[in-house]
Amino acid sequence: MSPLKIIRRDAETGPVLEVVGDLDFVHAPELREHISRLVVPPGRRLVLDLAGLEFCDSSGITALIAAHSHAQAARAEVVLVAVPAHTRRILHMVGLDQIFTLHPDSDKATRS
Amino acid sequence: MMCSAGEQPDPHGAGDGGVSHAAFASLLEDSVEELYENAPCGYLSTLMDGTVAKINETLLTWLDLRREEVVGRMRFSDLLSVGGKLYHETHFAPLLRMQGEISGIALEMRQSGGGRIPVLVSSAVKHGTTGEPLLIRTTVFDARDRRAYEEELLRGRKVAEEARRRAEADRARLQHALAVLQQSLLPDTLPAIPGVEAATHYHTASPDQLGGDFYDVFPVDGKRFGFFLGDVCGKGPEAAAVTSLTRYTLRAAAVHDPDPVATLTTLNKVLHERYTGSGDPRFCTAVFGTLEPDAATGRMRVHLASGGHPPALVVRADGTVDSLHTPGGLLVGVLPAARFVTTTAVLAPGDTLLLYTDGLTEARTGSDRTSLFGEEALRGFVAAHAGRAAKDLVEALINLLEGFGDGLDDDTALLALGIPADRTAPDGR
Repeated sequence: MSPLKIIRRDAETGPVLEVVGDLDFVHAPELREHISRLVVPPGRRLVLDLAGLEFCDSSGITALIAAHSHAQAARAEVVLVAVPAHTRRILHMVGLDQIFTLHPDSDKATRS
Repeated sequence: MMCSAGEQPDPHGAGDGGVSHAAFASLLEDSVEELYENAPCGYLSTLMDGTVAKINETLLTWLDLRREEVVGRMRFSDLLSVGGKLYHETHFAPLLRMQGEISGIALEMRQSGGGRIPVLVSSAVKHGTTGEPLLIRTTVFDARDRRAYEEELLRGRKVAEEARRRAEADRARLQHALAVLQQSLLPDTLPAIPGVEAATHYHTASPDQLGGDFYDVFPVDGKRFGFFLGDVCGKGPEAAAVTSLTRYTLRAAAVHDPDPVATLTTLNKVLHERYTGSGDPRFCTAVFGTLEPDAATGRMRVHLASGGHPPALVVRADGTVDSLHTPGGLLVGVLPAARFVTTTAVLAPGDTLLLYTDGLTEARTGSDRTSLFGEEALRGFVAAHAGRAAKDLVEALINLLEGFGDGLDDDTALLALGIPADRTAPDGR
């Protein structure tokens, strides 16, 4: 199982987290932990770049929902970037593709 | 050993010859007699009939006897406990006669005060110049420490066994409690629905874990029946608590208004309010529906809504399989206000409505965790069982689940509602 790597950078739109590896029962809490400490200024955008996401189960989905709640509490928005097909399928199944903004690439998502 | 650089260590070890000389000299001062009397073991010589001829001070002290009480008056076996005496007669003495020597035999000696000392005894027969046996020389080692150690080991083992027994009993009790709780999350029996055959199955991934899947079937009014099936995200007791809350919320909501969207909306509100801001968000996927049997036509109207749950399947008598899609139905409990989508279907005789949780479709079919059984394969599988009774379809699915072996690592719930094929509708299908 590939471990999880979270790389943070700041774009003019707000924080960008590059999520690489597995969002599973073992590793998803790391992302939740990371996001809970993240300060997203009101009106800005939290971008989760999932191009390197290899696996995502229901714990991973829960972490993404936690990111959504966290941003909403800060009156910010969440954008998921480069969501792999398998995860897009799950998001669609549980109706979450309606509450997340999905973007094909990170450049566009970080340009205000 | 520490040496400074360049200095050679003494190959013989002891550097100071003076000390060892002094120690050696003091050893020489000990007479052989002194050594015999006060050796750290008991010495004893007997005639061939066992009569004690000589005994050292050490053994006399252990047994709390005076020399004149023993020498010429007692036999070796008189110094032993009853058990020791018996063992001496039956084993020790015969073996000694046969082999001429015997060593390390555990016996018990008797103290004059009645106490007993565990000892290890070795004996050898001394022969005369012509080979005739003259006497028996015996050494006795005090085994009290050793016995205490053995008893300690034995006691330790008993304690460990008791702890293990208790742990097993606790484990059995816990498993029983878990099984009872698990049962409380699922209905004991399903109500009889006129003209409908219902079958269910619950596969628990681990006997130690409470499951997060749920289902129920119940009457809602004179003509309609409600049913639901779903899956709480997560595992363990926390998930089971959500399962319990979910099941009873849906039941209560249906009493108030059995409309599928209304019940799921109530559940969404309850879960969202209960768990949002708790730092531990909890959601579930669920299908809630109503059945309205029509006794005149033998058909049944299905009206259902889904929140984030895989589509229910309608297995038609002729082998076609319809997926009851509810696109956009949101995972329950995520947002304060969620949208749920409804769909309807009509079941004719021979048709079966199948609800399942994703343990079935997400079962791994290869070594790779991304090769999953999937919805397409499931549709193919149920199509091959079209026209069968609901319980036969569930039986076939149970066999399928068993065939997944280790690939099935999630709880799986199945609920099949079928209209028996022999009740042919007047207008056919």
